[in-house]
Amino acid sequence: MRLAAVLVLCAVFAMALVGTVWQIAGQPVGGTLPETVADAMADSGVDHPVTAVLLNFRSYDTLLEIGVLVIAAIAGISMARLPSLEDPELRTHDSLLHALQRWFLPLMWLVAGYLLWAGAVQPGGAFQAGAVLAGTGVLMRLGGMPMNFLQPRLLLRVGLALGFAVFLLVAVVSAAGGDAFLAYPEGMAKPLILLIEIFLTLSIAMVLLSLFVAAPVNDAREPAEGESE
Amino acid sequence: MMSWLMAGLLFTPLAWAVVSLLVGFRTGRWLSWVGMVLQVGASVALWFAVARESGFYYALGGWQAPLGIELQVDGLALTFVLLTAAVASACGLHAGVYLDPDKPWQRYFWPLFWFLWAGLNAVWLGADLFNLYVGLELITLSAVGLVALGGDAGALRASLRYLLAALVGSMAYLLGVALMYGQFGTLSLAGMSHLAQEYPGLEGAGLAMALMMTGLALKTALFPLHGWLPPAHGIARSPVSALLSALVVKASFFIAARLWLELGPNLGTLALAQLAGVLGALAVLWGSWLACLQPQLKQVVAYSSVAQIGYLFLLFPLTWGVTEAVSQQAQQGMTLQVISHALAKAAMFLAAGNLILSTGSNRVSDLAGVSRFLPFSLFSFGLAGVSLMSLPPTGGFAAKWLLLQASLNSGQWWWTLVLLAGGLLSAAYVFRIYRASFVEHSELDQFYHPPRRLEAIPMMLALMSLGLGLVAEPLLSVMALPFGEGG
Repeated sequence: MRLAAVLVLCAVFAMALVGTVWQIAGQPVGGTLPETVADAMADSGVDHPVTAVLLNFRSYDTLLEIGVLVIAAIAGISMARLPSLEDPELRTHDSLLHALQRWFLPLMWLVAGYLLWAGAVQPGGAFQAGAVLAGTGVLMRLGGMPMNFLQPRLLLRVGLALGFAVFLLVAVVSAAGGDAFLAYPEGMAKPLILLIEIFLTLSIAMVLLSLFVAAPVNDAREPAEGESE
Repeated sequence: MMSWLMAGLLFTPLAWAVVSLLVGFRTGRWLSWVGMVLQVGASVALWFAVARESGFYYALGGWQAPLGIELQVDGLALTFVLLTAAVASACGLHAGVYLDPDKPWQRYFWPLFWFLWAGLNAVWLGADLFNLYVGLELITLSAVGLVALGGDAGALRASLRYLLAALVGSMAYLLGVALMYGQFGTLSLAGMSHLAQEYPGLEGAGLAMALMMTGLALKTALFPLHGWLPPAHGIARSPVSALLSALVVKASFFIAARLWLELGPNLGTLALAQLAGVLGALAVLWGSWLACLQPQLKQVVAYSSVAQIGYLFLLFPLTWGVTEAVSQQAQQGMTLQVISHALAKAAMFLAAGNLILSTGSNRVSDLAGVSRFLPFSLFSFGLAGVSLMSLPPTGGFAAKWLLLQASLNSGQWWWTLVLLAGGLLSAAYVFRIYRASFVEHSELDQFYHPPRRLEAIPMMLALMSLGLGLVAEPLLSVMALPFGEGG
C-alpha cells in the first residue's frame, strides 16, 4: 500500500518534470551565456571552459564549495575519536599484496598528476585528481599499508584546510594589488590557477580519505543537556 | 574602501574558520572574540557606507553577471547582515562560556561556527541562484555538524534526520535552479526577473519556481514538512539551538522571499500564494498546540519556532496581486517578524540552557523552585515570551500589527484570525513554563548557579526584542535604503 503510494508519487513527479522540461524547451528565452564564456576565454588563463568557469569566472562558488568539503571533513573527524585514522587491525604483512600495491600506487599517483595538469585543456582538474588520490589512500588503507600520519592532530587539520587556505590567500592578495576580490592580476591567471589546483588536489584527497576512514567508534559521549553524566 | 568592507564581511569568517581549525578551543575563543568585533564593525561600517551613498552590485573576480557572480548589497540584505552580527555574536559569547573547553571535540565548534556565519552572509548578499545554493549548503552542513558535535546516539539520529531532510530540500531547489537556467540562460536573479517581465506566460519556469519553493519550505520547516526541526533544535547544545532557530531557518526563508518578490509577480500563481499562506497558518496553530504539550523545555521552544516560522509565510499571499502599499506593509511586517523572532528565540534558547544547567534536567516539570534560584534567566525567558505573544511594545507586536493591516487592506481578513489565535496559543505555552517554575516545593535542594555572563546575554537579547517595537521605524528605514545600479 505504502509502496504503491510512493510509486504513484514518483510517477506523478516524473511526469511533471518531463512536462516542465518540455515546456521550457519549447520557449527558450535569453541564453547567450555559452557565447559570453567563449568570448571571455582569452582572458581566463586556461583553455578549457569548465576550468575557466570553475576557477575564474565563478571562482567564488568554487571557494565556498571547498569550504563545504572542509566542513564535511570536520564533522566527520569530530565524531571519530580514534587516536589514529588508521586501523591497526587492517595492517597485514601479506607480501603479495604489498608487491602489487608497489606497482599500483605510483601509477595511480601518475594518473592523479596527469588529471590535474590536463584540467587546463580538457576535462579534468583538482576534483578528479583529488578523487583519484583519495582512491589511492583507500587502497593503501584496505591493503594494510601503515598510514600513521593520518592522526586527527594538527597535521591532518592543516592538510584539510590547506587548499582552502591557499585559495583564500590568493583571493586576498590579488585584491591587495588593487583589483577586485578573486580577480587574478594580468598575466598571472594561469600560474595562480595551477597553484590553487595543486593544493586543492591534496586537500580534496585528504577530505575524502578522512571521510572514508572516520567512522564513529568511541562511545564516550557527552550526555544530552539535563541528563546526569 | 567599499571593496575592503565587503571582503571583511565575506572573507574574515572564512579565514577565522581555517585558523580556528588549527588551534584548540580556548585559543579559538579569544580569536573568535576578535573576529566578532571585526564582523560587527564591518557590518555597521557597510551600513553607514550604503546609507551615505546607495546600495550596489558587487562583482566578484571582476566578472559582471551573467558571466560572473554579483552580490546584491541592498537594504534588505544589510538588515539581515546586521541581525546576524548581533545574534551570532551573542550566541558565540554564550557558547564560549557554556561549552566545556576540556572536551576534545569542542575544538571543532569554532570552525563550524565561523563557516556557518560565512554561509549566512553569503546567502544574505547572494543575487545568483547557484551561489545561493552553495551558501545554503555551507549553512546546512555546518549546522548539522554543530548539532552532532559530541552528541550521543540520540543527537546523531537527530542530526542525520536533519541532514537528510535538508539534502532533499537542497536537491529540489537545485533541480529548480537547473530548470530556471534552462529557461532563462542565466543564473542572476536580476537578469531572470528582467526576462520574466519581458516574456510573460512561461509555464515551465512557473513549475520550476514551485519546485524551488517546495525545497526551500522543507529547509525552513514549514508545516507539514517540519518533522525534522524539533528533534534537531531540541537536542543540540543551547547556544547551537539558538543559532539554528534564530538564523539558520531564516536563510532558506530569505531565499524563498527574494525569489517570490523578484519573480513572483510573473511566475507565481494565486494558488501557490494562498497555499503557502494556508500552510503557514496551519503551522502557527499546530506548532503552538504541540508546544503546549511537550514535556521537555527545549522541545517547547523548538515547537514554538515551527509556529513562529508559520507567520513568515503569510508574506506570500499578502504580496501577490495586491497594491504596492500593501505589499510594502507585508514586507516590513515579515522583516520585523524575522528580527523579533531571531532575538526572542535566541534569548529563549540561551535562557533555557541556563535553566537546564541550573536544575540539571530538561523536563518542564523539574523546573519547580527555579523561580527563586534563577529569577534572572527565568525573567529573560519570560521577556522573550512576551515578544512571541506579540504584546505591545515588543517587536512581535509591531510585526503582527503590520501583517494585520496588510491583510485587512488587501481584503484577506481570514489571516487576522490566525494572527490572533497564534498570539493566544503562544501565551499558553509561555505561561505553562512559568506555572511549572513557580511551584514552591521542590525535591531538589541544590541548584547550580551559572556564571553571570551566561545570564546577562539572554537578558540583553530579550530586552532588544522587547524594545524593538519602539525603534521599528528607524529599523525599517535600513530596509528601505536606496539601491542604485553598479557600484
